[in-house]
Amino acid sequence: MLFTTIAQTGFPAPMTQATLYHYLVVSGLMFAIGLIGFLTRRNLIIMFLCTELMFQAAGLALIAFSRFHLNHTGETFVIFVLTVAAAEAALALALVVLLFKRKETLDASSWMQLKG
Amino acid sequence: MALPRRGLSPQIIGALIGALALGLVLVGLGLKAGPAGLPNFNFYLFAFIALGSALRVISHPRPVYAALYFILTILASAGMYVLLSAEFMAFALVIVYAGAILITYLFVIMLATETPTADQVEALSEYDRYSREPVMATLVGFMLVAALTTMIGTGVSQLTMPTQASSTRDINDLPGRVESSLRSAGLLAADEKIATQGGDPMIDLATDSGQPGRVTIAYGEGRTKVLTTEDPKWPKDLSLSNIEGVGFTLLRDHPGSIEIAGVVLLMAMLGAVVLAQKKVELDERAKLAAQNRSLATEFLPQNSPLMAPTSQGSPSAREADTHGAPSHGSTHRVGGAA
Repeated sequence: MLFTTIAQTGFPAPMTQATLYHYLVVSGLMFAIGLIGFLTRRNLIIMFLCTELMFQAAGLALIAFSRFHLNHTGETFVIFVLTVAAAEAALALALVVLLFKRKETLDASSWMQLKG
Repeated sequence: MALPRRGLSPQIIGALIGALALGLVLVGLGLKAGPAGLPNFNFYLFAFIALGSALRVISHPRPVYAALYFILTILASAGMYVLLSAEFMAFALVIVYAGAILITYLFVIMLATETPTADQVEALSEYDRYSREPVMATLVGFMLVAALTTMIGTGVSQLTMPTQASSTRDINDLPGRVESSLRSAGLLAADEKIATQGGDPMIDLATDSGQPGRVTIAYGEGRTKVLTTEDPKWPKDLSLSNIEGVGFTLLRDHPGSIEIAGVVLLMAMLGAVVLAQKKVELDERAKLAAQNRSLATEFLPQNSPLMAPTSQGSPSAREADTHGAPSHGSTHRVGGAA
């Protein structure tokens, strides 16, 4: 059932709008959870983890739309989202390690002086 | 529409209530949609796991556990990708996210952890125990969810369902696939092959006119015949797989983006290397605290009464340091402690 394909098409049967709605609601909830986490947590690492959660939600929405419209552009875009997420994680974590070495704390509010 | 009540602060009870409400919302969604448009049962399973562990990511006080719960979210999302018949992306997600990015996070969590002093081995740092503005943040989250669900509800119903995949005609560009598939189905004899016209194979499997697809076969001396997809022996598995479709879209439609992605990754790598090589100057107070610690372990016996003020001194120095006030003349105090 999961992997059945209709002859001549690379995709299974078209998806209904209700199904798309379900996936989008889950994606929106996940994004909101990530946002709340980013706003409430004070640990720098967890804050970056929450941005990854928001990336995840965006990716899920993209894949759901890609499936609904029966083309692969959305999936292709998720590849680039993954790329950017990996680059962001590498840079952000290097910065976090530097900041921690300097002040020995991960509290975001201890870096208030970085405010412009 | 009843919106879920999410965990307010790092407290287990809040998270439990949130997860329960989440389940109720998902079930309510299913009832509202009616049996016709219901997605697979597995969808509810994966959605529940993903959202529940996402809640634990933001509510768990220990960073390591938060990262592990995030891996659970990733795995459940990969399950949903498979349900959406995006198998390649599901595997890429597990490999890249759960395999690479999360391991980096775990490494950094272990690198950047405060060394616990003797009296607080199991204690959590203050910034992990207390959250910042939980009520306001949750309000913002509620507003975002309300706006999103309203927009999605009105927007999705205006979308039209496509009847044919737009990537279907990509199979026309794979004559070798078509030929081997037809041969193994017994439709193509040994002396027959797909006819070409001006160098292009005459394959037209996905037509916009809605007629059955056709392949022109050449055999003998310049004679041709036409096979259609309505042939009873036509191979049913002759279609683009997910990974082939993604490959076609990626390499034919977005070749420039791949170059840009490569440059982004290279820049990130260079930046990380440069940042990691940089020699960090310790903050004055952090330096003082480190000196105090090393002096205490070097010169004082473990049970000395002098140990007490020194070991209390380092956390308080660190505490003062969190307020970011630069200190001058701290060397005097080092001398005093020694």
